[in-house]
Amino acid sequence: MSGRRDRRTTVLSVLAVGLPLVLSLVALNVGAYRIPPKAVFTTVAEAVFPGGDGPGPSPYADILFRVRLPRLLLALFAGAALAVSGASLQALFRNPLVFEFSLGISNGAAFGAALSIVFLGRGFPPQPAAFVFALLAVLLVVAIAGRSASQVVTILLGGVIVSALFQALLSLVEVFANPYALQSLVFWLMGSLGQATWSDLAVTLPVIGVGVAVLILMRWRLNVLSLGEEEARSLGLDTTRDKIAVIALAALVTAAATAVMGVVSWVGLIVPHLVRMAVGADNRKVVPLSAGYGAALLLLADTVARGAAPFEIPVGILTSVVGIPFFIVLLKKSGRIWL
Amino acid sequence: MKVRVEGLKFSYGAFSLRVPSLAFAEGRVAALVGPNGAGKSTFLKCLASVLPPGRGTVFFDGHDVAGIAGRERARLVGYVPQEPGLTFNYSVLDFVLTGRAAFIPIFSSPARRDDEAAREALRFVGLEDFGPRPVFELSSGERRLVLIARTLAQQSAVLLLDEPTTFLDPRHETEVMELVKRLAVETGKTVVVSLHALDMALKFADDMVFMKRGAVVAAGRPDDILDEALLRSVYDIPMGLRDVDGRRIVVR
Repeated sequence: MSGRRDRRTTVLSVLAVGLPLVLSLVALNVGAYRIPPKAVFTTVAEAVFPGGDGPGPSPYADILFRVRLPRLLLALFAGAALAVSGASLQALFRNPLVFEFSLGISNGAAFGAALSIVFLGRGFPPQPAAFVFALLAVLLVVAIAGRSASQVVTILLGGVIVSALFQALLSLVEVFANPYALQSLVFWLMGSLGQATWSDLAVTLPVIGVGVAVLILMRWRLNVLSLGEEEARSLGLDTTRDKIAVIALAALVTAAATAVMGVVSWVGLIVPHLVRMAVGADNRKVVPLSAGYGAALLLLADTVARGAAPFEIPVGILTSVVGIPFFIVLLKKSGRIWL
Repeated sequence: MKVRVEGLKFSYGAFSLRVPSLAFAEGRVAALVGPNGAGKSTFLKCLASVLPPGRGTVFFDGHDVAGIAGRERARLVGYVPQEPGLTFNYSVLDFVLTGRAAFIPIFSSPARRDDEAAREALRFVGLEDFGPRPVFELSSGERRLVLIARTLAQQSAVLLLDEPTTFLDPRHETEVMELVKRLAVETGKTVVVSLHALDMALKFADDMVFMKRGAVVAAGRPDDILDEALLRSVYDIPMGLRDVDGRRIVVR
């Protein structure tokens, strides 16, 4: 039994790396302007090894490197960020139903970013404000839940309250925004990767990269933290320090992603659950695999959002519309929440 | 390792625990007994620093536990709660491995020697084949043993167990207590265990501590302190002591 599970883990680990790579190749040639796979290859080759015998700069280079590549990288990094922070928060709060969105982190980050965009302008990076309010949101939730922070219902209730608060504040910001800013704000809030520019990514990608890497390094520590405050402390952990670290990192990567693409929910809930169903609860496997499958899922969703219809569907709407029924089926099928 | 308690006070709400002076010796099993709400669990949690005992109140071999950092403390004293705090369905081995937390830095995962320590602990409690099993599928007796194994993997000199036999049938109750006794005798650990079953305490404990409403009523070897008047005053019901085949048993 253990052997079969080991083999399955190996296969799933290979897929966790392979799937995002394969999807990346597909994503590069899908879109309003379809670029044949061979042209994608030669264009990338030309960019990586310039001055070869090729026909010179490819006509596709602009589309690939200024539009599709930043978008692709954002999808991969943001997907990994949401799934890894979801998995970490579930372990930390000992609650399989918490993730960035249900803890108010997403809406907090969205409010912070909107505030920054409207009042500081598009030129100022929105990530710092997103992070401050994401952290504020989760701290508010923890404060509302109080000492019963591990209890499934209180923490979710706190999340609902705080999410609603930031949603309202966000609407307030929209009232103050000028009509031109408002349109892009609304589209951004629905969750879209299309507005990603290299200057946005210059802040977001390194932040997510470091944050996700540190959470992956802490993966086994999450097993110990998931036993609860008293047990973790008796096992020698500085639980206060570790909790703050995990919450701050989860808020950081979520804020970095949300500031650029708006609110994209459900990735942080669905991916860790699927991974746990496949390989068991050990966070040494769950956290890194969530990174790979989160990246793959968001890239897939974004590629479908771009390629399926003649107009572009905001990916946040797509993940919700597809994610919620999928999750309901999952719950029905397994008969309980998968732990 | 010697454990000494001096002027320990801890209160929450209307309850307050007061232990003026008490000592536990290595290689011996001490049983904390007393009615519900006597403060047995609170006392154990203070000894384990799960609840903060306060400066200058709990000493391990003369060192004030308040001055010992979490990781070093966890190598000195292990605490076995009544029930594991399980939200996720880990395998037994993964669960026992969490006992190695004090040996593993924050950004690291268990190494081979941690795996070996966990397997050795499972062997000691007689569950060597249970490693891959999901913890949710264990019986309540097996869960207690796995909890004890987790604390053994911690390799601490002092072991505190909070009612390890509650809800167990007589056979598993006896097996757990024999294991607890073995830990003191074979590995020389200082063992403190809270119990409701007085017959188990009389059979397996070297020392007994009677508690009531947050205070220690009597402490010492059972032969020296135990009589019917003490039992009556602690439990508020008439209880008798009888000698049967050279062993003392409690009747009520």
